Amino acid sequence: MYAGRCYGYFYRLTGDRNLSDELLSELFIRLVEKIGSYKGGAFESWLFKIASNIFHDHLRGKQRRRKLLDAHRSQLELEPGLNEPRFSDEGEIRLDKLQVQLSRLDADTRDLILLRFYSELSFKEIAELRSEPIGTALSKLHRGLKKLRELMEG
Amino acid sequence: MGDQAHENLIGLLQRFMDEPAARTAHKDIQAGERWLDAQPAPAPDALVIAALKTQMAVWALRRHRIRRLVHASVAAAAAVIVLSLIGLLGPRSTSRPHLSYAAIIPTAIWESDDITTDDLDLVYFSSEIRQIEAQVRALDADDSDNGVVGIPEEFETELMAIQTELWKG
Repeated sequence: MYAGRCYGYFYRLTGDRNLSDELLSELFIRLVEKIGSYKGGAFESWLFKIASNIFHDHLRGKQRRRKLLDAHRSQLELEPGLNEPRFSDEGEIRLDKLQVQLSRLDADTRDLILLRFYSELSFKEIAELRSEPIGTALSKLHRGLKKLRELMEG
Repeated sequence: MGDQAHENLIGLLQRFMDEPAARTAHKDIQAGERWLDAQPAPAPDALVIAALKTQMAVWALRRHRIRRLVHASVAAAAAVIVLSLIGLLGPRSTSRPHLSYAAIIPTAIWESDDITTDDLDLVYFSSEIRQIEAQVRALDADDSDNGVVGIPEEFETELMAIQTELWKG
């Protein structure tokens, strides 16, 4: 159950299945290492905090970051039509429209939207996890989802 | 999200904006999340999940072994400590009795370089030793003819005298 949600979170953030597999494996390794630090409370909050940290650690790696940005750029450049789903070179991985439109949002808003959707945490928990005021998180989410809707319907 | 969660979200939005704006924002959020619902992300690879489960099982087994090893080590250490404390603080029933030795020949003789004087002293002490040996033998054999004083007889005589004096008084 958690593996699917965490994988979805990683996949929507990266758009790369192999990378999402790696991040998911890394997440479970970290969970094993840090299980002693879990002091009860909302497990999802603890889990997705680690997942978010893993993704940001991944982004901090310069080479990986460059690779990720290049991948995103090439995805957008090669995209024949944003309203049409396309298939990857292997013909197996379908890059859906939602993935393309999500990549057009700024990284912080995208992270917030996906964290909210896949973790199913309350706004209070999300605000605490991101160390920002609840009003800020709410405002960013509203603007981001409104823009996503416009992109998807446009 | 359920209806209750939506109502809570509207309530939360109303803390930051008026009611019409909150309802509009709520609709925007719902519409955006519907797009996320409509296009679910792919599931993780079954092989990855199987590998993760194996890793978790190995980890759990290792953790169990470590815990058992720690418990065994703690028990062994406790046993060693208890035995050490018993050895240090307990009754010394197994210790050997303390023996005191008295030297018949003074240490000065062994440390002296005056052979002539030492020889005379040795002759004297040797004769003393032989006399003591003779007394011990006489006592063992209950023999008082070798010039040895009959100590038991003396005690008996004294005891009889004391009894006589007592009844006199």
